[in-house]
Order: sequence, then C-alpha cells, then structure tokens
Amino acid sequence: MRPNRWQWTKISWRLLRHELSRGELTVMAAAVALAVTAVLSLSLFSERLQGGLMARSAEFLAADRVLRSRSEIDDGWLERAEEEGLRSARRTTFNSMVFAEEQLALADIKAVSDGFPLRGALEVADEPFVTGVVTHSLPSSGEAWVHSGLFQQLPLSLGSTIEVGDAEFVVTKVLTHEPDAGFNVFTDSPTVLIPYTDLAATGLIQPGSRVSFHYLFAGEPADIARYENWLLPQLDDVTQRWQGIQDGDSPLSAALTRAERFMLLASLLGVVLAATAVAVAAQRYCQRNYDAVAIMKTLGGTRGQVRRIFTVHLLLLTGFSIVAGLLLGYALQAGVVWYVSSALGYELPAASGSPWFLATATGLLCALMFSLYPLLRLMRIPPLRVLRRELDASDLARSLHWIISGGTVYGLMVLYSRSWLLSAALFAGGILAMFLLLGISRLFIRASRQAGMQAGSSWRLAMAGMQRRSRENSLQMLSFSTAVMLFLLVLALRNELLEDWQNQLPDDAPNYFVVNVAGEQVDAMTQMFERENIRSTDLYPIIPGRLMAINDTPVRDAVSKEERDDTNVREGFGRELQLTWRRDLPPENVLTAGRWFDGDEPGVSVESQVAERIRVGLGDRLTFRVGADEFTVPVVNIREVDWNTMQPNFYMIFNPSSLEGVPATYISSFYLPPERRSELYQLFRDFPQASLIDVDDIIQQVRSVIGHVSMAITFVMVLVILAGGLVLVAQVQATLEEREQELVILRTLGARSGLLAKAVTYEFIVLGALAGLIATIAMELTIFILQTQVFNMPATLHWRFWVFGPLIGASIVALLGWMTTRRLMIQRTAELIRGLA
Amino acid sequence: MAIIQAHSVSRHVETNAGQLQILSPIDLRIEKGEAVAIVGASGSGKSTLLALLAGLDLPSTGHVTVDNVNLSDLDEEERAILRGDKIGFIFQSFLLIQSLTALENVMLPAELAGASNPEEQATELLQKVGLGDRLDHYPNQLSGGEQQRVAIARAFIGQPAILFADEPTGNLDSGTGAKVEDLLFELNREFGTTLVMVTHDERLAAKCDRILKIDSGKLVEQKHAA
Repeated sequence: MRPNRWQWTKISWRLLRHELSRGELTVMAAAVALAVTAVLSLSLFSERLQGGLMARSAEFLAADRVLRSRSEIDDGWLERAEEEGLRSARRTTFNSMVFAEEQLALADIKAVSDGFPLRGALEVADEPFVTGVVTHSLPSSGEAWVHSGLFQQLPLSLGSTIEVGDAEFVVTKVLTHEPDAGFNVFTDSPTVLIPYTDLAATGLIQPGSRVSFHYLFAGEPADIARYENWLLPQLDDVTQRWQGIQDGDSPLSAALTRAERFMLLASLLGVVLAATAVAVAAQRYCQRNYDAVAIMKTLGGTRGQVRRIFTVHLLLLTGFSIVAGLLLGYALQAGVVWYVSSALGYELPAASGSPWFLATATGLLCALMFSLYPLLRLMRIPPLRVLRRELDASDLARSLHWIISGGTVYGLMVLYSRSWLLSAALFAGGILAMFLLLGISRLFIRASRQAGMQAGSSWRLAMAGMQRRSRENSLQMLSFSTAVMLFLLVLALRNELLEDWQNQLPDDAPNYFVVNVAGEQVDAMTQMFERENIRSTDLYPIIPGRLMAINDTPVRDAVSKEERDDTNVREGFGRELQLTWRRDLPPENVLTAGRWFDGDEPGVSVESQVAERIRVGLGDRLTFRVGADEFTVPVVNIREVDWNTMQPNFYMIFNPSSLEGVPATYISSFYLPPERRSELYQLFRDFPQASLIDVDDIIQQVRSVIGHVSMAITFVMVLVILAGGLVLVAQVQATLEEREQELVILRTLGARSGLLAKAVTYEFIVLGALAGLIATIAMELTIFILQTQVFNMPATLHWRFWVFGPLIGASIVALLGWMTTRRLMIQRTAELIRGLA
Repeated sequence: MAIIQAHSVSRHVETNAGQLQILSPIDLRIEKGEAVAIVGASGSGKSTLLALLAGLDLPSTGHVTVDNVNLSDLDEEERAILRGDKIGFIFQSFLLIQSLTALENVMLPAELAGASNPEEQATELLQKVGLGDRLDHYPNQLSGGEQQRVAIARAFIGQPAILFADEPTGNLDSGTGAKVEDLLFELNREFGTTLVMVTHDERLAAKCDRILKIDSGKLVEQKHAA
C-alpha cells in the first residue's frame, strides 16, 4: 500500500511548518515575499501616482487630448468622439485688438464652448491681481472674463464694456487662473474669455485670419485610445496636431519622463535583486534537503514520492510567501499613497488589477523557476549518500541552471518593463558586467592574499580563507558587488535627479515674464528692477521672423503646397520664429560646437535640438525673412539650451550686427515674492504697453509634482536597499555551512574564538570593501551610460561614492557576516561536531 | 532459509589512473533471523558491501538477491519500494531529518509505505526505546544516544525482515554505546529480524552469530561466534 496524496501533503506541510518556525526558510520566504512586495507596491503606487499625475497634468491642456487645427474640423469627428464615450469642448483662440474707452490693447481672445475646461478649473476674482476662487461656470452671452494684465493696459473695471471686433462684451469677472494658460510667453497677451456662441458676432473669423481651432477631449484611457486609432490616420500633419500631456510642450513632461524612467529602472533593479536573493536562497534550500532526500529514499521513498513531497513543500512555501508579500505590499503602498495624497492635497485614483497579477506572477516565477534546477538536483540525490556523504547530483549539467535562471530574469524584466528591447539591453549589459566583475573579483582576491601574507595571524588566516574559497568567494563577491552597486546606483541617480530638478527650479526661479516692452523703455525698466530690488534676467529683444532657406534651398513652409511633396524640400519650422540678438552667450546656454561671435561678423547661433531637426551644422547659410527683408547669415555656433529654466530662451540668436536696428519689443523674466504680488500694478503702471505673464501657478504645480515624484523615488530606493540587503544575507548564509566545518576543525585544534571571530570578520571586511570598490567602478560606468543615454542629463563623477562604496560594502558585509557566524563562535565545539556529523 | 545471497558480487570505480577495485568478487549467504557482523579496517570495503546488500548501490559484477528477488533486475524505484517493505537502517551519524521531531522521524517510513496508523506505532516504539517523553523534541535537542534510539525506533517501525546497521555505536561513548547495543539486540530478537552490522568494534561483533572479515576488498575470514 502506498500513501495517498493527502499523506504527501501532510508530510510536506509538516516539514514546512517546522522549518518555518525554526527559521530555516526565513531567507527563502522573505526573498519571495520581498519580490512580491516590491512588485506589488511599486506597480500599484506608480500606477496610482501616474494616474494622479496624468490627471493633474491633463489640467495643463484642460483636457486629456487636444486637436489643434488651422481650420474648423468636420462635425462628424466630434460626433464620433461622443460615440466613443468621450466628452469634448471647443476652444478657438486668436489675437485681436480690444477697445475700451477709445484705447486699445492686444489681447488673446479665447472663445470656449460649454464644458470647458474638461480638466482643471477656471479661477476668477472681482478685482485684478488677487488670488481667485474656483468657478465651474462660464461667461454668459454678451459677457467677457478678462485677465488681470488687461486691466493694466486699458481703463477697465468690472461692468466696463469692451469691443472685440464687431461685438461688445461686458466685463463681469477678472480671470485669475486658466488651467491651459500654457507656457509660450511669446504668444501670450492677456486673455479675454468669451462664450463660443458669441464668436461669430465678432466677425473676426474670416478666411485667412490667423485663428487656432482647438478641440478638447476627455474620457477613459481605453476610449481615448480607440478614438485615437480612428482619428490619427485622418489628420493632416501640416495643419493639424494631436496633443497629449507628454508631448513635450509641458514643463512637466521632462520631469515626468525622467521620473518614470527612473522608477521603471529602479524597480526593475529591485525585482532583479529580489530574484537574485530567491535564487541564492533556493539553492541553499535544496542543499539543506540533500540529506533528507537521501534518508527518505533509503527508507523506501520512491523518486515520485520525494518529488511530490518537495514540490508540494515548495508550492506551499511559495503560496505562503506570496500571500505575505501581497499583504505587506498592499499595506506599504497604502501607507505611501496616504502620505503622498495628503501632501499633494488630492486623492490618487485607484489602480487596476494588473499589479496584483504582476506581483503574483513574479512570486511564482521567482520561486519556481529559480528552484527548478536545485530541485532537479535534489530529486537526483542517490540514497547511497547516507553512506557516502560526498555524493550529490553533480551529473546534472550546470549550464541548465544558467539557462533557466537567465531566462527567468529576462522574463521578469520583460514582464515588468513590457519592453523586449530595454530588457534585452539591460540583460546583455548585466551579463557583460557579471563576467567583468567576476574577473576583477578573482584578481583582487589573489592580490589581497599576497598582501595578507605580510599581516598578523588573524589577517593571515582571513586571507588564506579567502584564497582557499576563491571560486566561491568570487561568485559571492559578484553578488555582494551587484547588490552594493545597484544600491549605490539608485542612491546616486536619485540624488542626481533631485539636484537637477532643484537646480532648474530654485526657490527664487523667475515667476513672471514681462513681454512687449518697447525699445525706448528698456533702460527705464532695467532701472526699475534695480531700484525695486527685483531679480530679473536681461531684457532680450524679440523680432518675429521666418526661416526661408538653408544653403539657398527653400524650406518646406516657404514653398507652395504642391512643392511640399517634393522630397528635396528641406524641413523648416512650420511657423514664425522669435529671433533675438545678443553680444554674449546667455546664462544656462552651453556651446557644443563652434565659437561665440567674433566682433561684428555676421552670424547666427542655433539651438542644438533645432540644428539636429533641420539638419544644419557650422558654416551652413540660413536665410531669414524679417518684415519685408531677407538676409543670409552663416551658422557660427551650436548651443545647448536648458528649456526647463524660467528665463527667455531662443532657438536663434544673432550677432547684434546682423539684426540691430530692426524694430523689436523686449522680454524679460523676474522673481517677485508672493507677498509683493500686490505691488505689480504699481510697478508696471509706467509701462502700459508691456504685458505681464504670471507663471507662478505653473511653477508651483511643477514643484508639487516634482516634490512628490521625489518621494516616490525615495520609496523605490528603500525597497531596492531592502532587496540588496536580502541578497547579502542570503549569500552570507549560503556560505555559512562551508565555513562551519572549517571553523570546527580550527576550534578543535585549539584556535581561540577571538582569533577565529577576527579572522572571519576580517575576511568579510576585505570581501565587502573589495565588493564596494568594484561596485563603485561599475556604478560610475553604468551611471555614465544612463545619464547620457537614458536620462539626457550631463554626465558627472561621484567622488563621495569612491569612499562611501568600499566603506558601506565593508561595514554591511562584515556586520552580516559577523551576525550569522556569531552562532558558530559561541557554540560549544562538541555541539558543532555533532551538528556536522 | 537464505534471506540475502550475494553471487560473485564485486564493485569497482573508474578513476583517472584506471579501474580501482573496491570489492573483489564475494559469495555470501545470510540466513533469515541470523545476526551477521562485517568487520575490517577503515577503507577495507565493509560499507560498500553493506550498500550492495541493502540495494543502495548496484554491483559491478555478480548480483544480490533479497528474499529471492534479484536486486539487479529492479530499477531504482522498485529497489526503494523493496527497502521500504523489507529493510530497516541504522547509521553511525543517526541521519535523522533535522526539521522533524522524534515522533515524526519515526513515523516517516510508515507514512511513505502508506501504513494506516503510523503515529500510534511510532509512539509505541519510542516508548519502547525509552523516549516516550521526548516525542516532540527535534534531533538537535537530543543527546547522541537518544538520537540513535530514535533511529532504532525508526528502523523497526515497518517491522522489517532485515536490519542494516552501519557502525551503530561509532559516534557514542562506551556507556551509551553499550545501552544502544543492548536495545538493538533486544528488539532484533523480539521482531525476529535478520541483522547485518558493519563495525570495527570486535566486542560488538562478537555478539553476532557470525563474523565476516573484509580486508582490502576481499572476504578473508568467516567465523561463527563462540
């Protein structure tokens, strides 16, 4: 009679229960649970944060997507959106003169339909330049809401009448905040918000007038995706543009993209680390059971029985760890979300079910795949091991192990990043780094053995120990280095990102732009800034102009529609450019090619991304049209511009000699502390033509998003540190048994515990310090690649880490080593011998 | 009636230096209920012979029959089942499963064989070996002598026809060793088990019915105890 399945389960359960309570499976269970915790909390958190950020970011567009068009679109397109379950609204904008009491000013007329804005909210007030309150209504027919800036330029008060084209409007509110205020300072005149239904009455929409028709859409992501699929193929890429929040115009998009890449990368590293811990622990888990299997087989257990007992055992352990990981991950994420939500001041949206699936799949994959080879070996343990202890299942090809483990790690990466390519790049890089690290480790071990020979007895013993286990030690050092490296990498990258953001938006970043400053008022305004102690940028002249030709070849937007299809036509800008001149390189700009202008030589300095896009280099001749005149200048240098700074930035800067004398208006940005906001009106009363643009809201929004993305990044870092720590614990534990025998022999031979403890600690210190050093080198290389290739940041060296890396490696590894071997030191020799018997 | 027979059983292994003969061809017959000691110096091949007789390993030449079944005709699974049905083991290093209690260690062979009341049988046997109050102790909470008593109880739970003992008192001090020996022989008599014991303790060997002496892989002497 053979036992039924419940009996096997009973044996498995009994083994599991005892081993868990005796702490023998703690590392394995913790490793699986941590992998699950990390994946669940990270993906839940990042999905919710992303949802929250998208919602916030959508406010910059006042919608989830915007279709910008130079002409009105077919109503059918809007009907289709409605069929797909999307909400839509219209926003038509154009610049026009506004009259009040026989004075005039240029304003940005914005006619909006019901429902606007689809995301975010308007804020209004009853007097200019004060903080407004949120409103969900819109001006009624015949009414206009007017931005504070216009009150400065026209003799206006609430109840005044303004003329826009043929229509008259009564000003009923001051518009203090528009979610879609945008960031393009050159086009922003004060806004006049009117109902869409009154647009026709203005008589300003004529064929040929420069009007932008915007169609706003909002809805569920799936509905949007469906609509996009239908709509995008029908768009005319010259006159129509489909825009989402991450399309680059938002000042947030760069920060968000970097943060997302960092989160993805760091969590991927966390998952790989946790998987490594599982792999190390799984190997040890199976090794510990070699004797049990041999005994069972000797006592009559068949291979099938043993397989079932240990498979069920492993499944129970995995199930237990996954449930623990899911609970812990959910709790952790809930805590972090609570903290972030309360700091952000709004609830993050709920996440989908996919993180739960992802986490469970990760736990199963990690536990089962990494245990597969050790388990296969375990099943092959011959019963004869009961008499010949050296027997194991060494006939099973080790390459199988590497193939299974490598495949699993790659699978996990793909599962997590959903990118074959990113995973393949990281995976290949990882393998290459592993071989390099392995080689360096061996070299270091050999070198330290020679150095150790000159030292005292504990050191000599430590170095001898390292040399003797050089193969195991170099593998061990590999995982120490990897863990320390990933830890340093995440730490350094986090600091880099935070510092980078901090630098872009210091506390006194300019929060206002002033535009339309007349040439003759430049001096007066500069003096005013100085007198009032306001920190401002220089005043830059602005001249609207168009790029017409490159090396005498007309560009795409300078030719007729028919000629556009000619493939020889060069790509231009498709729009008017804001040109400036300047004698020296503006701050925050870096020359990447060529040299700055020499004397009065004619020439232009081109921004690097533009140079790349329109394919121009040093010496190319660009032809511009300014007003009715055309002129040609050579490209003298290429400049890199940090677009995230709150200062006027330009694609094209001319040597003054090329443009000076052409009539221009001027622009500057400045910082005015919020408490001085009420002075604005007074300060700019003498400059009635100039327009003020308040970007404080945008800065605050960017700051809050960045602040909370930083929190997310710190959270990821803590998880990566935990995962790295677990790898170290698993690795130290795995080597414990090898050391046990040797320690017993040395103790039996009379070596004092103190000497042995020192020898073991020294060995770990050297291992840890070497691992830390290798990790630092590898970290610098990796971070260089990441900074230049993934994050588009300037490369930096991290000198602090060259001290910090070896120190942290030595202290963590020595501490863990000491903690785990301490048990051996305080046990009596007789007990140890019995344990080994 | 012979319960174990070895016919020209030999064992060699391949090494870099060529073939290494561990055991030269041996013919042997062990009767049912007999107690046989295999003695010899370290490395003489005693444990190899025990492994072959117990079906833990297969001979390079010749064959072994246990209860008239030729072990060479069985695959590993069938040999495991045969061991579970007919054979018990006691080892020098006790070989208890560290994460199971004394009771669970003893129950294990009965459970693997699908016995109906393993817990009762195991409890009874542990009481018999004087460990009725240590059922829930783990091996590392027991002394060497106690661990070996648990191993003895485990060996007898399936009421095996044959008991193989590999240096059963080798890891114990003389006092404890003597008690374990007494217990072993007492149970052996009670269950009518055939005992095959490897030892280099001549005093212990003398307690058996017959002594086989192995030297350099050869059976050099067979004598009946006085």
